[in-house]
Amino acid sequence: MSANVNHTSAYGMRPLAKLKPSSLIAVLLLAVLAVLPVFIDGYTLSSYRDILLLGLFALSLDIFWGRTGILSFGHATFFGLGAYGMAVATTRFGIDPYWLSVVGLLTGVGLAAIVSVLVGYFILYGGVRGAYFTIVTLALTLIASQIAIGWSSVTGGDSGLIGVPPFSIFGYSFIDPTASYYLAFTLLAVCLLVALKVMHGRIGLILKAIQDNEVKVRTLGYRTQFVLLATFVVSATIAGLAGAIYATCTGFVAPDMIALLLSTEVIIWVAVGGSGTLTGAVIGTFIVWQLQQKISSYSVAAWPIFIGSFFILLVLLFPRGLPAFFLEKLRPRGKKEKAVQ
Amino acid sequence: MDVAIPFLLNTLTLISILLVVSMGLAIIFGLMNVINLAHGEFITIGAFTLVAVQAAGGSFWLALLVAPVVGYAIGLALEKILIARVYKNPLHAILVTWGLSLIIQQVLVLVFGASPQRVSGPFAGAVDILGVSYPLYRLFLIGFALAVFATTIVLFRKTRFGLDLRASIQSSEMASVMGVNADKINARAFALGAALASLAGVLLAPMTAVTAYMGINYLARSFFVVLVGGAGSVGGVAAGGAIIGGLETALSYQVPTTVAQALVLVLAIIILRFRPTGILPA
Repeated sequence: MSANVNHTSAYGMRPLAKLKPSSLIAVLLLAVLAVLPVFIDGYTLSSYRDILLLGLFALSLDIFWGRTGILSFGHATFFGLGAYGMAVATTRFGIDPYWLSVVGLLTGVGLAAIVSVLVGYFILYGGVRGAYFTIVTLALTLIASQIAIGWSSVTGGDSGLIGVPPFSIFGYSFIDPTASYYLAFTLLAVCLLVALKVMHGRIGLILKAIQDNEVKVRTLGYRTQFVLLATFVVSATIAGLAGAIYATCTGFVAPDMIALLLSTEVIIWVAVGGSGTLTGAVIGTFIVWQLQQKISSYSVAAWPIFIGSFFILLVLLFPRGLPAFFLEKLRPRGKKEKAVQ
Repeated sequence: MDVAIPFLLNTLTLISILLVVSMGLAIIFGLMNVINLAHGEFITIGAFTLVAVQAAGGSFWLALLVAPVVGYAIGLALEKILIARVYKNPLHAILVTWGLSLIIQQVLVLVFGASPQRVSGPFAGAVDILGVSYPLYRLFLIGFALAVFATTIVLFRKTRFGLDLRASIQSSEMASVMGVNADKINARAFALGAALASLAGVLLAPMTAVTAYMGINYLARSFFVVLVGGAGSVGGVAAGGAIIGGLETALSYQVPTTVAQALVLVLAIIILRFRPTGILPA
């Protein structure tokens, strides 16, 4: 850790000031989450487990969006591919139950990885950046959800697929809520800590530099297109992993797991927590999820209106994200930092 | 011939609709670099104008006149209140227009209900073309949409507004130095785009299910038209519309529509790999 901190400080205060508290918060957050099952159990615990997996999904978006500044409007595609891959492989092919979950996991995560490599190669190497990238990924989700609804002989159409078995490996099944909670927790903890470690380090700095000026970074000899593609694929693969495990936990898949609304919601989770902070993505998921339960119980139509209004408010009032807004209120600084998108 | 003529006419139907929808999008994108994700909702607004006009006892033709006015007014108001604030940052524009799109959809659901609306076209029958029977309404749609597109081109090329618009697309700084009021041009161009989309919404409504979410299908397609064709040029829109519309119709004869749309997306992505600024950029 200390070596990394020294390394970043040589490049200016910004990465140091931004990343270090988020690692501390990450450790605290994970510690709290680790002991949570002692205090709660049953249904509440399983809904926390779902939030952990959605938090992992949000983390995956933040790895790409927060670090490269390129917004993917189609991350639900990869989450959904993971979920549908798992569901189709485990319910349709009659594979040996001993290997069922492993095959499902490989199918789901593999699909997400392959699609992200193909799409990422063509658009990132084609020089598609910024707003164009957002549009292409938006279309990707639209098409993916149309296929999920339209190809009903495989995907179950509008009603989705039920009967996805709980995740099991080497004969051990995570059927108990506490066991599946710890499965989700372990995945999130590993991904979060590794992501923080990597983003503190060299790769994080290269990505940051690409965000500021890609041409300059390429001139310095870095293969920026490859770095961006690799980050995109890692991000999509984690999203697929979150989706696949999510499907085993809920026991079903439905088209709303691959829908545009989910792509939109995950952006809000990340934005609420502050994009680029990684830990914030997980915290944002917790906050917005609780809020969604409250608002949806009041009215189903109210939730999309709320999201819509939130997007507009986010841009007009908090263009640098909510945490930055509140931090600024708490400690007004003389020198304004550049907005980190 | 029996297969070729309906195929040709179906292709023309989709292309002519795409031309009208994408024109507004291409102008807004080329001019302000704003990706307007609420563009599809202006199609929906147009279609619901038809629903409202027919519910009040008015005719299709009245709606065809009213819808562009409604679209223009809503577009102008939204540009003044919201969009004008986010020109500097494309990402913010995406988020704001997406937020608008979600709000407009839900407001329409709250006002009109979630079930598909019933509208009727002005002509019911079919006509014979070279021995093949084809719905009269679709023929009218093709003719009318192409006429609207042609009018837009004339507006673009022959009027003072069009000159200012093209100058601003080329270099908005230089244009404003030469006395073009950029705020005014932006607002009017955005409203014009909204009006065109609303008009397309009326034309589409008798052929499809009118729901609050109908715009989204055309949003993705029209973005591909703009991306493949090139932003901010009439020629680009025409080329993109022909490619996307032609491909989708041709493919949907062979494979299910969903797969056809997926293939069009794949082809559009491959085209972007080799021509990132489109086939005919401004």
